[in-house]
Amino acid sequence: MRISRLQIENFRNFKELDVEVGSHLVIVGENRVGKSNLLHALRLVLDPSLPDSARRLRLEDFWDGAKPLQPDTQITISVDLTDFEDNEKQFAVLSDYSVAHSPMIARLTYAFFPRPDLDEEPTKESDYDFSVYGGDDPTRLLSPDVRRRLPMDVLPALRDAESDLANWRRSPMRPLLDSLSGEMDEDAKEELAQAMTEAANAIANTSEVKGLSDEIKEALKTLAGKSHSDSPSLAFAPTDADRLIRTLRLFIDDGVRGISEASLGSSNLIYLALKLLSLELEISEKVRDHGFVAIEEPEAHLHPHVQRRVFRSFLRPRNHLPTQEERHEPDRTILLTTHSPHVASVSPLTSIVLLRSQDAPSHSTARSVIGAGFTVTETDDLERYLDVTRGELLFAKGVVLVEGEAEEYLVPVLAQRLGYDLDELGVSVCSVAGTNFIPYVKLLSDKALGIPFAVITDEDPRPEKECLAAKRVRSIVTTLFPEYDYSEGTSDLFAEAEEDGVFVTDHTLEVALFRCGRHKSVTSTIEQLSSNSKATERAKMWRDDTSSLEESRLLSDIEEIGKGRFSQRLSCRIQCMTSTACPSSIRKAIEHVVGQL
Amino acid sequence: MLWGSYDMAVPPYQLAAQQLASNEEQWAAYESIGNFVALAGPGSGKTKVLTTKLARIVNEDVEEPRGVACVTYSNECARELKRRLAALGVQPSRRVFVGTVHSFCFQHIVRPFAGLGGLDVNSPIRVATDHEQDTCFGKGVANAISIDENPYNWRFTCSNYRRLHLDREAEDWYGSDKRAARIIEEYEKQLRTLGLIDYDDMVLLGLRLIEKHEWVRRALRAKFPVLVVDEYQDLGVPLHRLVISLCFRDGEAHSRLFAVGDPDQSIYGFTGARPGLLKELSARADVESVTLRLNYRSRQDIISASEIALGESRGYESANDDVGVIDFHHRKGGLADQAQFIADTLVPAALESGAASSLGEIAVLYRTKNEGDVIAEATASARLEFVRIDNNAAYPKTPLTRWLEECATWCSLRGQSGSPSLRAIISDYLGFNHTLASERRRLDAMHELVACLRNLGNGDIQFHSWLAAFSDSCLRSHLSVDPTMQQEIKTLDTLLAACESDGKLEDWTVARFGGQGGTPDHLNLMTLHSSKGLEFDVVILFGMDQGIIPSYRETSSESKREPRRLFYVGLTRARHEVHMTFSGWRDTPWGKKRDGVSEFVIELRKKFAEESQ
Repeated sequence: MRISRLQIENFRNFKELDVEVGSHLVIVGENRVGKSNLLHALRLVLDPSLPDSARRLRLEDFWDGAKPLQPDTQITISVDLTDFEDNEKQFAVLSDYSVAHSPMIARLTYAFFPRPDLDEEPTKESDYDFSVYGGDDPTRLLSPDVRRRLPMDVLPALRDAESDLANWRRSPMRPLLDSLSGEMDEDAKEELAQAMTEAANAIANTSEVKGLSDEIKEALKTLAGKSHSDSPSLAFAPTDADRLIRTLRLFIDDGVRGISEASLGSSNLIYLALKLLSLELEISEKVRDHGFVAIEEPEAHLHPHVQRRVFRSFLRPRNHLPTQEERHEPDRTILLTTHSPHVASVSPLTSIVLLRSQDAPSHSTARSVIGAGFTVTETDDLERYLDVTRGELLFAKGVVLVEGEAEEYLVPVLAQRLGYDLDELGVSVCSVAGTNFIPYVKLLSDKALGIPFAVITDEDPRPEKECLAAKRVRSIVTTLFPEYDYSEGTSDLFAEAEEDGVFVTDHTLEVALFRCGRHKSVTSTIEQLSSNSKATERAKMWRDDTSSLEESRLLSDIEEIGKGRFSQRLSCRIQCMTSTACPSSIRKAIEHVVGQL
Repeated sequence: MLWGSYDMAVPPYQLAAQQLASNEEQWAAYESIGNFVALAGPGSGKTKVLTTKLARIVNEDVEEPRGVACVTYSNECARELKRRLAALGVQPSRRVFVGTVHSFCFQHIVRPFAGLGGLDVNSPIRVATDHEQDTCFGKGVANAISIDENPYNWRFTCSNYRRLHLDREAEDWYGSDKRAARIIEEYEKQLRTLGLIDYDDMVLLGLRLIEKHEWVRRALRAKFPVLVVDEYQDLGVPLHRLVISLCFRDGEAHSRLFAVGDPDQSIYGFTGARPGLLKELSARADVESVTLRLNYRSRQDIISASEIALGESRGYESANDDVGVIDFHHRKGGLADQAQFIADTLVPAALESGAASSLGEIAVLYRTKNEGDVIAEATASARLEFVRIDNNAAYPKTPLTRWLEECATWCSLRGQSGSPSLRAIISDYLGFNHTLASERRRLDAMHELVACLRNLGNGDIQFHSWLAAFSDSCLRSHLSVDPTMQQEIKTLDTLLAACESDGKLEDWTVARFGGQGGTPDHLNLMTLHSSKGLEFDVVILFGMDQGIIPSYRETSSESKREPRRLFYVGLTRARHEVHMTFSGWRDTPWGKKRDGVSEFVIELRKKFAEESQ
């Protein structure tokens, strides 16, 4: 079973959130964007430990823009569940709440609404009532079965793993040890308890321990007098078998150190592992049929490399296990909230739910990539890319997609000259290392993450043939708007494509820079870096007479230096100048992205 | 250790099971693990077997949250099953359904899946009142045939046709009676225009959904891996096809079936029931089947007599050796004479001899409401308290009136022993209104009811004022918002009208009304049909004249089969004594008709005499 869609209306940060989701959820977003509120919304529907008093919301829980309250304003939170048909128990619990079949989708909804028996407009909290219902019928109240059999657990952000582990009542060890105790043979337990008692007595009865015991007794007597003596003695804890098992404690480093000596990070990890284990136990003991486990900020106290190590495999199927049976995944849905790029960048792409705040009126929206229709290869490529770039794309407010590292160096500097500080604006310049923009365009488009973006690509003219950019641009535009049809010509195509954020650099980047008025910087950089005397001579010649430029020579001379190295130097040079000269494609691309922020 | 001993306690159903162990067939049913059909003779303990087995299935076979659906013929049967199951520790819940095939289809198929399954019905679904049905039917007949046509002439034919011809796409839909088919289509169109479905629609639409959509079948199987059916012989073709769909459909997973019934007691042919369906089921290779032969109810003479009456030997045996009484009483003065004889002579004698332990252990059974009128009057004249169940009774027994009886008893007893549980009263009340869309509204409704019951006074007050106050303070507004309860509101009106002066319940007290729920102090007057599933120390079959049973319409040997089974059902209700009264003639609108004593009685009397010689 999995969550397939979330819809929230008028709740806290959310005016109208509607997002399709994959198997697990990694809720990514900056502070205060509403990650915890999103989890709380889910709890209102799914958490059996939440009392009714907490389900009775308050007026301040309405989204700010929904005020003043109108008679038809209500808070609704809907969770769609699917892929439960193979599990007959889940199917039994959920089928009454279906809103679609083949495949079945069940919808569970929390609503906070003005009482229907009011005569006037609702003004105060007591005018409101809440309900949790299934399907599309508000009178079909959710059976308590649902939350009991498919419960949600929350591990809050500020948990104190160490003290929870030490406190028996709260310890995630408790269900595990209790189950152990239940499984063990009664006689065997008795025998062990007996052995334990004997060993304990043996220690307590050594002359050394007895000596100390007597000394303490004597000291107390001296201090408080005979009448007040409580006759203390040294011994171990009582040794009833079940209690004995409960006293089992976790040790780390091969039993050398107790958990209290572990770092905050590792005790958190241990806590998490135990919690998941006890959940699996409950499913195998048939107490529940699925678990939703929400973990707030699991990155807490973990070093970046540990975060990446842990969460890279955490939400992925464990394919390395040999047999079908062992590969069986526990029936659970993990919901993480994180603002760590390290966690986000190694999570499966389909699990990412990106929360972003919007202005005017202020509210948060959520995006995922489920609707983008990625192929397996595209997903693999993008996941690797996000991994290597530490998920930069996910946190960007705008993105300029470019072909290679040359642009990566140059675009931010050119932008700065134009008066835009891309870092401050939150705009990333991302190289796709080639010309296959399609997966990135899909990822950023409105069908997926919905991040404002522009594409800058070289024209790459060919003698006697259509330029290479034409095909590229056509496929990008078709990806964005499948109904688009441009088969002939390029001039209209390029002009139209600009409206969709695709910009074609005349000829190639280096040539365009030369032509836009930065020929001096270009040629000087060649002179500075090239060890080829013919190249430096050519550079001088082109600088003095720009019309003598041979484009292919310029490119080959730069390639000889290395495009990256060349642009690195060039960007330093541009940074020190005041000129605002810029190839028009780059200028337009930057303006296109900045204009949408 | 206190809770340790509680832990070790044997669950009630296992105690009950110990009593099945000595009866080989009953034990086979209890131990069955696959599809199972018990052909159960009268008094053979079928309800006990069914409830005990159901409790076992709930506790041992089906893991939470999956469940068991137990489907039976009528609300009265369901009521009895619930009562028996409660004693075994099984309460109806989301995973344990106990109810009629209609409520099963409505609650678990039509309501959740009608929209998704593409049925053309409104949401929320509104159930038509009898009056609305009549109006729609009238228009249907007018549209399909002509406005001069009397709808009454078509009503019976059409409802029968509708229950028997289930496949609208099939050729024989128009084939066997084109005009009836057209009327039905027009009638349904009229209903849908008003956003209504009728009672039969619940089953017909439910069946349509289940047969059409594989996902509906899967959803139901997931919820109910075991299906238990009581009174299978009465449930008709739609239920049979529903069972086939869930339990025996080729190429699909199956729910498991546990069914009990008795083809000999099939008396609902007019609703489409056929005794053959259960026989067919029990003959399947993938169904284990036994016959429960031992009769724990009736004495051997009564069993022998009933087999003679049935015309077939079943080899049933009585579990005890006492001698029973079968007596024939010829009263020449017609029904009134018979009735007076019953009230003045037979009933007091049965009480005096100890054959009946109380008045509530005596039942007078008859064919139609006409005989009911006569016996009710005689009984009233003899100043005997009675409960009457037939279509001319003061009010029909519906879930609402049954519940009102409980409320009346609760008010009379106020928590003394024998008082119905307030919890059950509340839970039924909440069940009457499906539109309470939050826990708080349910709580409000519950508080309202409890406050109302507290203020309604005790058993001595006038039933009329009690009911009027109840209706005005909360009941009517509670019912009226639910679109499925419109007919019950009409029932409430009927009941209120019956309390008015000259009504049948005039001068009744609350306690007396509560007593209608069944007490030892009331004589039972009911139709043979209503006696189904019940048992009494003494049974008096009233009006056993030719033309009544079989009726003057039932002349062919084929059409006499069902009244014969009905006669058989009547006989087999008795533990100790059966009395039959007859006159040899009957009243008709055209005067006395001398058709003689019922042929079933003559036959029985003759063979009985032969055998006793």
